[in-house]
Amino acid sequence: MIIEYIFAVLVAASMITFFTGGRSRQFARLTSLAIAAAVIIYSAYRFYPGYDGGYISTFSLTLSSYTGFYFSLGINGFTDLLVVLGSIIVLAALFISDRSDDPVYYGLILLTEVGIFGLLMSTDLFFFYVFWEVVLIPVYFLIGLYGGPRKDSVSLKFLVYTHIGSVFILLSIFTLYSYYYSEFGILTMQNADLLSTPFFATIPYFYKVFILTGFLIGFLVKLPTFPLHSWLPDSYEEAPYPVTVILAGALSVMGGFGLFGILYPLYSQIPSFFLWLLIALGILSLIYFSFTAMFQSNIKRMMAYASAASMGFVSIAFGSGILGTGNNGIIDLAGGMFQIFAHGLIVAFLFSLLYYIKTHTGHDTFYGLGGIYRESPVMATLFLGGLLASLGLPGLAGFVAEFSIIAGSYGILGPLIYLVIFSMIITASYHIWAAQKALYGPYNENLGQVRDLSRSESAAMIFMLISILVIGLFPRIVFPLLTGYLGGIA
Amino acid sequence: MITELEAWGIFLSPLIASPIALVAGRKSRNAAGIIASASIGLSLVLAFLLYLNISSSTSVESQYNWFYDINYGIFVDHLAIVMLLMVALVSLMIHLFALYYMGGDPNRHAYFAETALFTSGMLGLVEASNLLEFFMFWELVGLCSYLLIGFWFFKPNAASAAKKAFIVTRVGDLLFLIGLAVLYSSMSSVSSDPLSISFIVNNASRLPSLIGQYNLTLVSLLFLGGAIGKSSQFPLHVWIPDAMEGPTTVSALIHAATMVTAGIYLVARVYPLFYEAYPVSLYIVLFIGSFTALFAGTIGIVVNDIKRILAYSTISQLGYMLAALGLGSMFGPDVIAYSMYHLVVHAFFKALLFMSAGAILLALMDLRDVRQMGGLWKRMPYTVSLLFIGSITLAAVPFTSAYFSKDTIIGLSYTMYQSSGTLAMALPWLFLQFGALATVLYTFRMFFMVALGKPRSHLASEAKDPKKIVLIPLAILAVLSLGYGVFQGSFYGYVSPGASVPAIPAFTEMLSIAFLLIGLAVTYFLYAGDRFTRIHPEKIPGYRLLANKYYLDRLFTNAIAQGTILPLSSSFAGAESRYNGAVERFGGSFLRIGNALRKLQSGVVENYFLLIIIAAAAVFIVLELAGGL
Repeated sequence: MIIEYIFAVLVAASMITFFTGGRSRQFARLTSLAIAAAVIIYSAYRFYPGYDGGYISTFSLTLSSYTGFYFSLGINGFTDLLVVLGSIIVLAALFISDRSDDPVYYGLILLTEVGIFGLLMSTDLFFFYVFWEVVLIPVYFLIGLYGGPRKDSVSLKFLVYTHIGSVFILLSIFTLYSYYYSEFGILTMQNADLLSTPFFATIPYFYKVFILTGFLIGFLVKLPTFPLHSWLPDSYEEAPYPVTVILAGALSVMGGFGLFGILYPLYSQIPSFFLWLLIALGILSLIYFSFTAMFQSNIKRMMAYASAASMGFVSIAFGSGILGTGNNGIIDLAGGMFQIFAHGLIVAFLFSLLYYIKTHTGHDTFYGLGGIYRESPVMATLFLGGLLASLGLPGLAGFVAEFSIIAGSYGILGPLIYLVIFSMIITASYHIWAAQKALYGPYNENLGQVRDLSRSESAAMIFMLISILVIGLFPRIVFPLLTGYLGGIA
Repeated sequence: MITELEAWGIFLSPLIASPIALVAGRKSRNAAGIIASASIGLSLVLAFLLYLNISSSTSVESQYNWFYDINYGIFVDHLAIVMLLMVALVSLMIHLFALYYMGGDPNRHAYFAETALFTSGMLGLVEASNLLEFFMFWELVGLCSYLLIGFWFFKPNAASAAKKAFIVTRVGDLLFLIGLAVLYSSMSSVSSDPLSISFIVNNASRLPSLIGQYNLTLVSLLFLGGAIGKSSQFPLHVWIPDAMEGPTTVSALIHAATMVTAGIYLVARVYPLFYEAYPVSLYIVLFIGSFTALFAGTIGIVVNDIKRILAYSTISQLGYMLAALGLGSMFGPDVIAYSMYHLVVHAFFKALLFMSAGAILLALMDLRDVRQMGGLWKRMPYTVSLLFIGSITLAAVPFTSAYFSKDTIIGLSYTMYQSSGTLAMALPWLFLQFGALATVLYTFRMFFMVALGKPRSHLASEAKDPKKIVLIPLAILAVLSLGYGVFQGSFYGYVSPGASVPAIPAFTEMLSIAFLLIGLAVTYFLYAGDRFTRIHPEKIPGYRLLANKYYLDRLFTNAIAQGTILPLSSSFAGAESRYNGAVERFGGSFLRIGNALRKLQSGVVENYFLLIIIAAAAVFIVLELAGGL
């Protein structure tokens, strides 16, 4: 039951923030810190002693039993991990927010956290959808009110594009809802009913495909996957840095949760051409985004594409993991979920550091930077750490996921694995190239004196890098939650 | 239990010392070097204790779960202990010398933190019980080499050499990673610990039936790709000559102890994968190794940068080690011992060569061109004598240790050619044999140009020996280079039980000595005085090919990086912006439709009623046409 209280506190706090006036920054930071601490302590307490699948802490409130609307929450190993990640991402975003006292700004960020928590915890598709939309609206306002010079058109594009994706999800949900009624005469929105394999198996093939297509479009827009990514580069670039952290961390969490949390329970019913389509789109995304990233001169835009590329691993893992058998399939799927988690941590770290580079030097393009290691060694070293994590260096969180996916999917992908590896070589090249151009070499004297990170800034960043390192060195902290979740479904 | 703790301590000691050195170095710069050296000294002591403990038994092993069905732990057998002792000893010597060599650098605390981490990565790699753990240390070594090559980050050359080293070795690393994926996916159903090294070592003969020879061959070739990248074999050797931009002690570490030998060690470590695969695996190992031995040696003859001469010599010598492993299809797994012996001997004399070159460069203010040196033997007698010992060992002059290690490999390749009877098998032998000639030529060309004649620059005429105490580590390595040959037989028997010193055909023995004499005569004639200044190498056929390093660097930078990858990336980025433009136009046209429809919202109630009636009429008409209500 504890997690519901945490959630209730978060909802209340996000509302209160709008009325805190000049204290809003402090209030929002403390709230998100408290929420993150509570969530982590809760997970350690509930999941550490051993977890073997299924929902923990379920809660249900009947709203209208006739139409089957219940407000029901629950949490399993996978969603717990994402809730932890979401709270860390919001915390990081608030930590680098410098808008001194703008209650609307901080309220909107906390409202985004409400949406993320809600959609992850809902065990009811109706409320899942409601919270899904709750994330989009505040992000739209955050870009539209606080973004860069093109904020009006970019925020509109973001809203329309991602909303069209969401409408497909709604369509699929209502198709499931009406089929369940025609099958059993019961109106229900519960995941446990609508996403159960025996029920889904009774749906005619055409409508199965229809439902799955709707879900997939909605989820792949968020992931994002080529060719449904057009909202991404502009939104990332125009959004203020804290919002970029949320976009990169939280929206990919939504897409990944859609695949592994909503669709995975139906795994045996997903036609194999869907899975192959996901694998193909994943590989295509990896290559397309990697090559596109290589050519960017703005580091923020480059990292936006790099982040999208690494989510390609998630859809590859989903497709090949379901097709795979035995241990190979399990490590593949677990690797895919691990990648969502690792990617969230890494992009939050990278964009936070890029924010400091931008504010301390005034630049986030290669032309403006150069050799800044000389003036700000701590900042440069930490950014190098972020780049190495992002390119998947062993010992850091991303590698565990990439290894698990590559090892698990080889049996399915066969020679296609060389394409994945090729994209990893490209990824390594432009990351190291970025480090060489921005951090090393002769100092760009136009920058004048550059301030290094302050004590509290570097403490926070070192803490994040150490968490990425700890997750990479001791993946057993999170792996059992994922394998437990998979075991609970199989 | 004690032995296990010793084994963990070996790599944990420098690993823990690294951050301590960094932090302590902020207060006192000199403390960092002492902490790093002491931690590696401790590793050496622990490795020696472990050596005493496991000499009777065969191995120490312990496994713990890392995640899912991947374990981590310690696996030390005779092969690993030899490597551990070598790495710890040579690294310690280099660290002690670096106390002097890096003594004036303002960032030396970072330097020592990184070299300690570098050494710890290599020690961990040697001891790893699981291939994924092995891979993690493998990448740690790669990362440290990246940081150390770019240590003087403000030099554009250093930054770009570091980048090149990282990306080129990364290509090999990712091939290795696919190899791990193939091995994992085929082992996961037959073993509870799919990537265990001891499983591979202890179940050699069962491997083909467990995972099939095709998979074995694929895995071994992909692992070989990793080894080629790390051990800078043809065609992924291009990073190592540029890597000379780092401090010279870093070059010594990379070339002798901590990095390039990792690739050879990988092949030796998982040798059953190669041995039980289709024979083509080992033939490829043999051909790549022997070809590299000659190929890199010939480039070494025309290079003028003293550190780059040594770099090409490393590539060439690593080729001998790899070729030795490739001889296993005829001589069985005993070749591991032959290869490892050359590896250890090479570590001694290459560290010696680099450090004595480093001492010379310090006296010459980092003037690396051998054409500007000359006459240094008189001016720096101790240092150049040490360089001399290193050089005669490198050239395998009889009764130095490399004479035993290298001529064994050449002799065996000849025996293999003789017994196979096919002409193709003469190639490896010829490569190796003429590689030895090239070795003699580039070694003595370098040595004579450095040591004899008259100084050809002002700096060279004023060079002086450093204090004798700093040369002690070099002297220790010099003794080992000269005298380690006496342990040949016992080394072979220790690494590979039952292996003994093979008989060397008299023919190759004679040929090697003849080549040595020819090489000495030619280089002495040309380079002992200043005769070489009168020859114009540009006019000699083949010189341009060699001086351009067979155009391979250009192939990589121009044809692949600038000719293929960049245009591809530019066209992807172009496609992306066109695609985004198209999506926006599509969305924009919807907005325009919306604007047009907005005009219907006139606010006049009559118009709304009219619209409702028209719409209702349309619905009824459609329903009527569709078949009625």
